[in-house]
Amino acid sequence: MRRGYRYLALELASPLVAIGFAVLVGAVVMAAIGKNPVEVYRTMFVFALRRLDSVAIILFGATPLIFSGLAVAVSFRAGLFNIGVEGQYLIGTFLAALAGFALKGLPSFVHLPLVIAVAALGGVLWALLPVYLKVRRGVHEVISTIMLNYIAFSLIHYLIADVFMDKQQGLMPGVGNPLIRLPRIAPSALMPRMHGFLSLFGVDLPNHVYLNWFFPLALLLAGAVHYLIWRTPFGYELRAVGHNPAAAEAAGIHPASVCTKAFLLSGLIAGMTGLSDLLSYFGYMDLDFPKGYGFTGIAVALMGKNSPLGIVLAALLFGFLNRGAEGVQAFAGVPMDTVVILQGVMILSIVVASAVMSRYIRRQERKEALQG
Amino acid sequence: MVSELLASAIRMGLPVLLAALGAVYSERGGVVNIGLEGMMITGSFWGAVGAYYWGPLAGMALAVTAAVVMALIHAVVTVTFRVDQIVSGVALNILAYGAARFCSITLFQKATMSPHVQGFEPISVPGLDQIPWLRPLVSNVSPLVVVGFLLVPLSYWVIEKTVFGLRLRAVGENPLAADTLGLKVYHLRYSGVLLSGVLAGLAGAYLSVEHTGMYVEGMTQGKGYIALAAMIFGNWSPVGAMWAALLFGLAESLSFRVVQSAVVPYQFIKMIPYALTLVVLAGVLKRTTPPAADGIPYEREEA
Repeated sequence: MRRGYRYLALELASPLVAIGFAVLVGAVVMAAIGKNPVEVYRTMFVFALRRLDSVAIILFGATPLIFSGLAVAVSFRAGLFNIGVEGQYLIGTFLAALAGFALKGLPSFVHLPLVIAVAALGGVLWALLPVYLKVRRGVHEVISTIMLNYIAFSLIHYLIADVFMDKQQGLMPGVGNPLIRLPRIAPSALMPRMHGFLSLFGVDLPNHVYLNWFFPLALLLAGAVHYLIWRTPFGYELRAVGHNPAAAEAAGIHPASVCTKAFLLSGLIAGMTGLSDLLSYFGYMDLDFPKGYGFTGIAVALMGKNSPLGIVLAALLFGFLNRGAEGVQAFAGVPMDTVVILQGVMILSIVVASAVMSRYIRRQERKEALQG
Repeated sequence: MVSELLASAIRMGLPVLLAALGAVYSERGGVVNIGLEGMMITGSFWGAVGAYYWGPLAGMALAVTAAVVMALIHAVVTVTFRVDQIVSGVALNILAYGAARFCSITLFQKATMSPHVQGFEPISVPGLDQIPWLRPLVSNVSPLVVVGFLLVPLSYWVIEKTVFGLRLRAVGENPLAADTLGLKVYHLRYSGVLLSGVLAGLAGAYLSVEHTGMYVEGMTQGKGYIALAAMIFGNWSPVGAMWAALLFGLAESLSFRVVQSAVVPYQFIKMIPYALTLVVLAGVLKRTTPPAADGIPYEREEA
């Protein structure tokens, strides 16, 4: 039993080792451009964590990453790699924005859930073709989803700029051109912020913080995905197919059907990724709607080892890094993009560390088994 | 008109061709290289840096070096540590994106573009460039185009006719058998991946130094992924990859021409190369077979 704990500790240590390594690489990069790494990291921590509103900003920033990370992880557990979260959430966000401004006069308790459901369905829609191609034609989902991402970018561009652009918007003072954006979403579809709730506990957030109820919703979703993967028959089938499709099939599981369901579920979660920004921060969708959550979601899922709890932690870490990077850019003169390098190095070192660690554990276990 | 279109298809298809040739080396050796896109980004940035400070040749050298460093990371992670090859490639692409932005800010004070850089002196074939219908194809051609198309028969020869090529293929088809025969599986897989780095670096440098005359963020536009599709469509062979790359080049150059006529919204025209890739991969046009051990990490029996 104590041995078991030792292995668990080793297993948990590998992400920490990897983070440490990435921090070191980051320090070298900073030193290379003539900055004092200790000072930069200190600025990062102080700026990101000293004030409560900054912490709330971190939680807001982590919200979409929990969605996209969970989406990637669900596909990963079934042995599929959904790189198409990017396109899926843009399509989902677009359809949600459409349902948000086109439907009028609905009460909030109907409109808001409807808009969320539409976003999820949009994600499913954009996941249909790759999983069909995978199951029926053997096309690797990585390339097909990447291609669909590019197609989604162009399609969204067309739909926003050429079809549904808001022609009635007032011009911003001093700016000659109208924004290329969709009409504003009806107030009944907007997600309320958490300010009122938190003030009950004596936490007063300033107005520039957009932490909203999608954050607790994301945590709930993480719990639901955990339950699904570890406590339901479907979760068992999913893991079986992910581990060894041939063995799963021999055991009477139908891999194609499990893969299809898992991938569509991944698309469903992916579709909701953009909602926290759309329904609380922007209130409309424009051409510059945040991109890249899908790709960061891959990093978050890898770092969280595809476990929902790990994903929440990794999303918080990424939220912290992004927030800290703003401070570092403003106060230490280090480009924000250092953080992207940090993230890339972290993923690489985390996958290497966990591969090495699990192999070491397997070898030790085999040795112990032989010694009896 | 036709020869102009063809010349434009060649210019557009060349980066896809170079990267696809790289993918052929990597995958015939059994390593999937989704990191081609990142290596191209790296190549396009460092190509512009080299060309800006020391001229186009230095640009090529710097681009190849930088992309090979990325390829080395991929090889260490996937061959030595046997991590999932897709995961490593995706991580590499994120890393390349961040590194390019960071270095661009550090060197040029702008995250998204470099100053204008000078490319190679274009070459013309004397005599032939006097024939009107041939002129677009043989005048003002980038030397890299010539190099790229010479690399096709060369790669065919290396992979199909040399001892190295035979061994590389053996490692990609059946690493265990190759290992039993005394071949150095890891060395061979490393060489395949590093060669793909060389070619992806050149592809990136062509984009910035020769095609655009500067580095712009996102200028690769997924060409690394399209190159993988071209390689698959070309059935993992250099000559097949060339035809596929030309097809993609043709699609892209056609898209520019259709934009001018403006019958269809240009956003749909922009989708053509990606939609074409999907069609190609779906096997609507033809069925393909990958090397047997492609994408599978090789693990020597642990003691």
